[in-house]
Amino acid sequence: MSTGVQYAAPHLNTSRSAKGRPMERNLLFLAALYMLAGMTTLYLDAPGILAYQAPAAGLTVAAAFLLVHLYWKASGYKGDRFLLSITAVLVSTGLVFLFRLDPDYGMRQFIWILIGLGSLVLTTRLLVDFRFLSDYKYIYALVGLIILILPIFFGKEQGGAKSWLDFGLFQFQPSEFVKILVVLFLASFLSENKAVLTAGTRSLGWISLPGLQEWAPLVVMWGISLLLLVFQRDLGTALIYFGTFLAMVYAATARIFYVLFGLGLFVSGASVSYLLFGHVRERVLIWLNPWPFIDGIGYQITQSLFAIGSGGILGAGLNQGYPGYIPVVHSDLIFSAICEELGLLGGAGMIILFMFFVFRGTKIALHARDEFAALAAAGLTALLGLQAFIIIAGVTKLLPLTGVTLPFISYGGSSLVANFILLGLLLNISHESDDSL
Amino acid sequence: MKQNIKKLGIMIIGLLVVLIFYLSYLNVVRGSEITANPYNRRFQEYENQVRRGAIYDIEGNVLAETKISGDENKRVYPFGRDTAHLLGYISERYGRTGLESEYDRYLLGMEGADRVSNYFNRLLDKEQQGGEVTLTIDAYLQGIAMDMLEGRRGAIVLLDPGTGAIRVMASSPSFDPNILEDLWPQLITDDSSPLINRAVQGAYPPGSTFKIVTAAGILAVKPDYVDKTFYCPGYIEVNGYRLNDTAVHGEVNLSEAIAESCNTTFAQLGLDQGAQNFARTVNAFGIMKDPGIGITVRPGTMAASGNMIPTELASSAIGQGEMLVSPLHMALAAAAIANRGEIMRPYLVETVKDSRGETLQQGSARHWLSATTPEISGVIKKGMIDAVRIGTAKAAAVPGFQVAGKTGSAQNPHGQTHAWFIGFVPADQPSLAVAVIFENAGSGGAEAAPAAAHLLSAALNRDY
Repeated sequence: MSTGVQYAAPHLNTSRSAKGRPMERNLLFLAALYMLAGMTTLYLDAPGILAYQAPAAGLTVAAAFLLVHLYWKASGYKGDRFLLSITAVLVSTGLVFLFRLDPDYGMRQFIWILIGLGSLVLTTRLLVDFRFLSDYKYIYALVGLIILILPIFFGKEQGGAKSWLDFGLFQFQPSEFVKILVVLFLASFLSENKAVLTAGTRSLGWISLPGLQEWAPLVVMWGISLLLLVFQRDLGTALIYFGTFLAMVYAATARIFYVLFGLGLFVSGASVSYLLFGHVRERVLIWLNPWPFIDGIGYQITQSLFAIGSGGILGAGLNQGYPGYIPVVHSDLIFSAICEELGLLGGAGMIILFMFFVFRGTKIALHARDEFAALAAAGLTALLGLQAFIIIAGVTKLLPLTGVTLPFISYGGSSLVANFILLGLLLNISHESDDSL
Repeated sequence: MKQNIKKLGIMIIGLLVVLIFYLSYLNVVRGSEITANPYNRRFQEYENQVRRGAIYDIEGNVLAETKISGDENKRVYPFGRDTAHLLGYISERYGRTGLESEYDRYLLGMEGADRVSNYFNRLLDKEQQGGEVTLTIDAYLQGIAMDMLEGRRGAIVLLDPGTGAIRVMASSPSFDPNILEDLWPQLITDDSSPLINRAVQGAYPPGSTFKIVTAAGILAVKPDYVDKTFYCPGYIEVNGYRLNDTAVHGEVNLSEAIAESCNTTFAQLGLDQGAQNFARTVNAFGIMKDPGIGITVRPGTMAASGNMIPTELASSAIGQGEMLVSPLHMALAAAAIANRGEIMRPYLVETVKDSRGETLQQGSARHWLSATTPEISGVIKKGMIDAVRIGTAKAAAVPGFQVAGKTGSAQNPHGQTHAWFIGFVPADQPSLAVAVIFENAGSGGAEAAPAAAHLLSAALNRDY
């Protein structure tokens, strides 16, 4: 295996040169094989002109991933060499299952994947000097907040959550993009105010607290989470926002007090909404015991459990199960379909891929050049990891089921493009770090 | 800060590790239990791919089998309405019930070695085979019981008190499961509720059959009552309410009170033991429990002992008031007296085998509850023998065997009394315990006792 041609890194003035990324290439080939195996199975099960779509889309996506790799190689990009291939396997799984569940969704996802890869390339090109983002934090925090609350007034309700904007041709879920802005804002804010937040400027008994100025933005975050929870009925997104927020505060200050205090606030907020809002009570009720409501509000989660339980260890085999019984299986509950057909091993495999992702993300954060970059990397990693955890825990009934997507796998343009941008930012942070990971 | 980030990363990876463990638990440990749900429509899908296994009675008669005609798998029940409630049905439109539903995973070849072989059969496009289930039921006796229930509403349960094996579980009115889809509209509008398995789901006042429980209760707290004499003037007054008896029994002892079914004495015995002791005995007999036989049993219900007023206690002691039980529970109460106070756990399934004949489950005699002591059950047995010999249950006698029994004529809001009989045979070495109820048929001695005798005699002839 050659080490490849050595390119100079155009974005850096250091004399260090980039490697040829042969690892990434080889792993992408494996991912392509994996995808083609799946698509071929689908094709053989139902050969026909229409069924050509699946292998064709699979080949195109595999090629597109390789193209991104080649572009990076040519431009001397030094971002992490594992994340793209991990993502490729996740995306491939999603695409194969969407074609299996409903070829219409498969075709649309196919387009979104190409757009997503385009955004990834743009992110690694245009935002490679991402540090300027730190300077305008209040501006885009404000912009983000406005986009976020738009759906409350103009939004469209879907699956019980009112978090979509309808543009006719396509629907747009602002919260998917705003979450990245939130991470960048917090990274910038926390790295600036870290000292004050850690030490505190006044003391309250044995706890030293910072002043109101430092507190306020954090309280605003708490408010936003509750806003999502109450007005958009988007419990999952609220949980992800708040979890990421706490994770970043902890990473920045190491003060477990903030985390506990934050959890306390969230729990009290959640309890109040439990008492005030029927839809929250309903969620908790069917989480504790969905079986008496199997005909109505408990239908979705019980169908999900049937699918997971039916899969066994090896699964029914691709295209051999009955995941069609699960409502919104193409989106939030796609993991249950994977478990039914690929079994425990397939499901655990997906989780392990997310673990790899979090592992690489954490490494990037540890090797980041400064605190802003480190916090941003940690935040983005936590965001993705928590989102995967929350939805998988939801469909297995470990946590109440909430409507969020499984990153890179579920159907959904907003989610897919946003996660590709997230990936791009993580890669940019690793690109500028001096250490070779 | 690096330390924190490291810890954060480890924590999130830890959360995902928890997910893997939980998913494994859900999939491997809980999987069978979760998916064996009538609402899981996958079973209906498997139905078309798998040759569903047969269900046999104890003699090897086919009770249910799948016949393949062309592309379609048809489930056939040779005994039709005789076994309809027991076996249940599997219908694409109307769901899955009974033993068919309970043993779905075995019948569809999803357990044991079938799990692996059918996995490959499916991949290779070969026919998948289901396992088979053999019941403790005797189809011949089941047929006799159904004949006696013909044109009536009611239920009959026959079981082996020494092992708990259920030989007959009949409920009427019934339906022909072979044409369920056609019958359905009329089944669900029929006022006599033919879909209900009265043997286990029925909620009946047990009437005087319940006196054997009341007797066990009083002897547990007041052993000297064995020799006590009671006086029955033909009525009893409780808190100013007068409960009338069917006759003036005069001076009776406990055995005679059972044989003559004296309401006055037993209402008094209920009051003498108190609500708490009474409730404790009822629980000891398993009346309030579902013994778990594979089909759902309605646990008995009664007024809570905490606020059971004396009139309610006196009524409950003679099986009236708020006391409601299923025929299976009363058969088990008779079995308790037959088996020296010990109740064996009732069961319906003798063996479960996979498609290659390998045994996966074997039904066996297992102890369930200690209802009362051998001494007390001996006293009650004597009263029950006398009831058949000289008392209210004479019609239950079987030539050549000594039957012990207790009749009941339970008052209810729907008209004539329910005719009850519970008992066992042979009295000295019981091998059969029975409960018969005919709804609104009149007196237990005249209606239920002869039917029981007929069934017991048929069973004895078959060497049970």
